[in-house]
Amino acid sequence: MVINFRRFVIVLTVVWLGLFVLVPHVLVLLTSVMSPDPQHLAVWPLTLNSWGRLLEPLYAEVFWHSLWLSTLTTAICLLLGYPFAYIVAKLPGVWRGLLLFLMIVPFWTNSLIRTYAIKLILGNKGLVNSLLLASGLVDEPVQLLYTPFAVIFGLVYVLLPFMVLPLVSSFGKLDGTLLEAAHDLGAGFWQRFRLIIVPLTMPGIIAGSLMVFLPAMGMFYVADLLGGAKNLLLGNIIKNQFLVVRDWPFGAAFSVALIGIMAVLLWLYFLANRRINRAGGLDDESF
Amino acid sequence: MKKIPALLAAVLMAATTALHAEEKLVVYNWAEYIPESTLADFTKETGIKVEYSTYENNEVMYSKIKLQKGKGYDIVVPSSYLVSKMRQEGLLQKIDPAKLTNLKNLSPDLLDKPYDPGNEYSVPYLWGSTGIGVNAKEIDPATITSWADLWDEKWQGKLLLTDDVREVFHMALKKNGFSTNTTNPDEIKTAYEDLQKLMLNVLVFNADAPREPFLAGDVNLGMIWSGEVIMAQQENPDIQYIFPKEGAGFWVDSFAIPVGAEHVENAHKFIDYMLRPEVGQKVVEELGYSTPNMASKALLDEDTQNNPVIFPPADIVKASEFQQDVGDAMKVYDGYWEKLKTGK
Repeated sequence: MVINFRRFVIVLTVVWLGLFVLVPHVLVLLTSVMSPDPQHLAVWPLTLNSWGRLLEPLYAEVFWHSLWLSTLTTAICLLLGYPFAYIVAKLPGVWRGLLLFLMIVPFWTNSLIRTYAIKLILGNKGLVNSLLLASGLVDEPVQLLYTPFAVIFGLVYVLLPFMVLPLVSSFGKLDGTLLEAAHDLGAGFWQRFRLIIVPLTMPGIIAGSLMVFLPAMGMFYVADLLGGAKNLLLGNIIKNQFLVVRDWPFGAAFSVALIGIMAVLLWLYFLANRRINRAGGLDDESF
Repeated sequence: MKKIPALLAAVLMAATTALHAEEKLVVYNWAEYIPESTLADFTKETGIKVEYSTYENNEVMYSKIKLQKGKGYDIVVPSSYLVSKMRQEGLLQKIDPAKLTNLKNLSPDLLDKPYDPGNEYSVPYLWGSTGIGVNAKEIDPATITSWADLWDEKWQGKLLLTDDVREVFHMALKKNGFSTNTTNPDEIKTAYEDLQKLMLNVLVFNADAPREPFLAGDVNLGMIWSGEVIMAQQENPDIQYIFPKEGAGFWVDSFAIPVGAEHVENAHKFIDYMLRPEVGQKVVEELGYSTPNMASKALLDEDTQNNPVIFPPADIVKASEFQQDVGDAMKVYDGYWEKLKTGK
């Protein structure tokens, strides 16, 4: 019975992943090397034209812009999330649970609705501008909405928990005795931070950064709503290719390129993780 | 033993009546383009459950219908140029005029147009225009008379444009004296180069409800649909509408039945329901777009009938062009559109 059940679960998982992960990805890959056709979306013959078009300066620029927005988002999430995660991890169990719970609560509301709410906060007559005007810091409303700032603000807001959660788990595993020992041996705060805390929480840093960076390139609705559909992300280009321009092969090529970037980053994560696991000892000097 | 088949039959009968009770209709319409209570009233009267979903522009709807080979929806509401395209590509099915008792209410002015001769595939629902919206509290409406005024340097980073390739190109084409339906690549290129200059002034492309940024105070000037102005004025009377002198963009959106629709009978019932005088009246009162339904128009109060935003004077309509399909030239438009959106 046990073996049968195990086999059943394995078969189910394999079929599920095959049907809903492998097959769609193969279809996307196949579409990316077909010829575009506005009538039939994608047709024979096979061609690498769409891949060539990825190199056009127009798209290269969007690509770098999107990469830049995502990198900035990740950096801000890390700066905010790192101390937050440290504090949360050091709190007694009840408080830690409560804070993490509060962090998750907004997720019960659809992120699209929360993005609309941000529009109200950043608008010319929104909360931020009302405060600025009332305090006399500015005479005219500052244009916040429909700028790259708004896009980054929205992305950081939506993605911050993805940075915090892996970090909290990393800090949870951090052995306090190591820090005490370092302290006793005369290491100052910065030395302890740089030589012990950062290396030991590196898996959390990398995992969190990946979980922020990758979605940040695809969240087209944030760019549409907060960026005024001008500060485009890679996700916007893909969406437009499929829905508006109907050049499916090109949209597919873009998707595959994005998946490729993710794969490379995950591979780097895997390498880093392995290195950290293999190292880890106190006498390790590779950091 | 004989009883079992009888029992089965009874169960089957019950099941089929239950299925009949679950009569339904799948409607795919523009966002905010039908009063919610109208759908509820339709269900109450006919027992037909309406599954309702929305799209932001013609292109998205077309892609979906094309992809699903005309299946999945019973009613779509394409603009005129898309009716002709979808009709020619076999994505729509013929509408049976014998089933539409209220067809006679429609104004002949909007029937039998080149995009669908004889209205075999489409029944006009609403029409309206795309013009210039302005917040009179911030900007004197008298200073804005033409599309060309939007190009003024003083509006840098201030304008709202609709996220619609045909409408945005309409502005630049008209500004340069071309037809909004041009297929001449040189004319389209000239318009594109003009729009490149306009991009510096653009703050936001809006796809769902252009009135919202006006109401929120985030923009005071930009493109807007006539009905959106009427809706906005209920909250803020300062939002005003200007017919640009080069010509506003005029469009008609029509009911159509995709070729693979599963509930064709219900779709006809729905169209006929929407053509009723009092239903059309309510649609105009709530949405502020113009109705092609003369019987509905007659029911509206004087103010609404004489509101130039809803029912523009004949000379304005005559001087304007209705959108038509531009065929393969759409590719040219789309190419430039993408460049504009990505900042080129």
